[in-house]
Amino acid sequence: MRNILRKEMRLSASVLSYLFILFGLMFFLPGYPVLCGAFFVTIGIFQGFQTAREANDIVFSSLLPIAKRDIVKGKYMFVCLIESCAFLLMALAVIIRITVFSDSVVYRSNALMNANLFALGMACVIFGLFNWIFVGGFFKTAYKIGRPFVVYIIVAFLVIILAEALHHVPGLEMLNAFGTDDIAIQLIMLAAGFFIFLLMTVLSCMRAYKQFERIDL
Amino acid sequence: MVIAEVQDLVKSYSSFELKNISFGLESGRITGFIGRNGAGKTTTIKAMLNMIHPDSGTVRYFGKPFLGNEADIKKRIGYSTGTVSWYPRKKIRDIVNIVKRFYDTWDEAAYRNYLDIFAIDEIKTPLELSEGMKVKVNLMLALAHKSEVLILDEPTSGLDPFSRNELLGVFTKLRNSGVTVFFSTHIISDIEKCADDIIYISKGQIIAAMPKADFIRQYSEPGETLEDTVLRLEGGGAHA
Repeated sequence: MRNILRKEMRLSASVLSYLFILFGLMFFLPGYPVLCGAFFVTIGIFQGFQTAREANDIVFSSLLPIAKRDIVKGKYMFVCLIESCAFLLMALAVIIRITVFSDSVVYRSNALMNANLFALGMACVIFGLFNWIFVGGFFKTAYKIGRPFVVYIIVAFLVIILAEALHHVPGLEMLNAFGTDDIAIQLIMLAAGFFIFLLMTVLSCMRAYKQFERIDL
Repeated sequence: MVIAEVQDLVKSYSSFELKNISFGLESGRITGFIGRNGAGKTTTIKAMLNMIHPDSGTVRYFGKPFLGNEADIKKRIGYSTGTVSWYPRKKIRDIVNIVKRFYDTWDEAAYRNYLDIFAIDEIKTPLELSEGMKVKVNLMLALAHKSEVLILDEPTSGLDPFSRNELLGVFTKLRNSGVTVFFSTHIISDIEKCADDIIYISKGQIIAAMPKADFIRQYSEPGETLEDTVLRLEGGGAHA
C-alpha cells in the first residue's frame, strides 16, 4: 500500500492539494467561520481529483499490479492523509487558543463559533462528509466529479452554518467554551466528531470498492 | 502449454456485443489479434485485464482465474496501449520511478536498454512526445519488468515503418526468449511478419483462432496474401 500511496502523492495529486492544507491555520482567525478552513482543505483535494482525471490516473492505476480495490484504498488513504495534516494544524491552533490565548479579547468577542475542541470535532464531520459524499460519489463512475462536489458543497455549508450558530441556542452555550471550560463536554464532542468521520469514511470506502469493481474503464 | 485462456466472454452494450469469446494463448508464441476497427479487439483485451466487467465468462492466466489473483497475475504480465498517455506533464523518469516500485522483477538494465533502443529521452513529458513515442514509452514500461505475457493493444499504430520493424524485431526476440506476446492490430502485414498464431475477430465474434499456417491453409485462396484473405473475409462477411 505504500507504493500506491506514493503514486497518489507524486503522480496523481495536485500541488493545491498540499498547499490548501494550510487553510487548517484558519482556526487562528478571530471573527471568522473557522469551519470554512476545513472546507477549503477539501477544495484542494477536489482539485487533485480533477488533475488526476485529466491525466487518466484511474486507468493508469488499473494497469499496475494491484487489485482494483487497492486503487480505491489508495485514493482514500491519500485523502485521509491530507485531511490528517490539516487536522494537525487545526489542533495546533485550538491548543494555542485554549491555552495561551484563552482570555484574548479578540477571540472572546466573537459572535461565531470559538475554535475549540467542538470546532475540531465539527471539522472532522466536514472531512467525513467530503469522504462520504464526494469521494464515494466519484467512485460511482470514477470520472464524474461535478455532481458529487456540488452536493457536498450544499451539505457542507448547511452543516457549517448549523455548527457556527448552534451555541446561540439556549442550553447549548457550552459548545462555545473558551479555554478548558466544559472540557469534558468538549472532549466528548471531539470524540463524537472523529467517530462520525471514521464511520462515514469506512462506509464510503466499502461502498466505493463495490461500485468501482462494476465500472468499465 | 496454454498460458492464458479466455472462456465464453460475453459483454453487451446497446450497439455492440462480444459473443462468447474463447481462445487460448500458447506459451512462447506470438499471437496476432486481428479485426477491423470496432470488431471488439480492445473490448476483449480490456475484459482480459478486468478493466471492463464482462456479463459472463472467465479469464485465466498461468492456470489461475484473474479475478481473485489480480495483483499476482499483473506482476507477471505486461500491458500497453498505443492510444492513451498518462500524466502528460510529468517527466517519463518520474513516472518510471513510481511504476518500478510495484515490481520485484523490475530490470533496470533492460529498462536502460529499451530507452536506447527506442531513443526515449526520459527527461521529456508525454506531452512532448509524438504518438509513436508514447507507444514506445508504454511498451518500455511493459517490457522492463520481465513480463511472461505481453498484452499489447495496437502497439504498432502510429509508428513509422522503421519503428514498426524494430518493434516486430523486439517481439521476435522476446518470443525467442520464452515470452508470450499477444498483440492486436489492424495492420495485417505486421501479423504476416512475426505472428505464429492468429485470432481473427469480426463483429464481436471469434471467427478463427489457430496457427498462422493453418489459417492461411484454411482461408487463403491461391496467390492471396494474408491481407487479401482477411479483406475478402471481411468484405464478404464470411464466417467459418
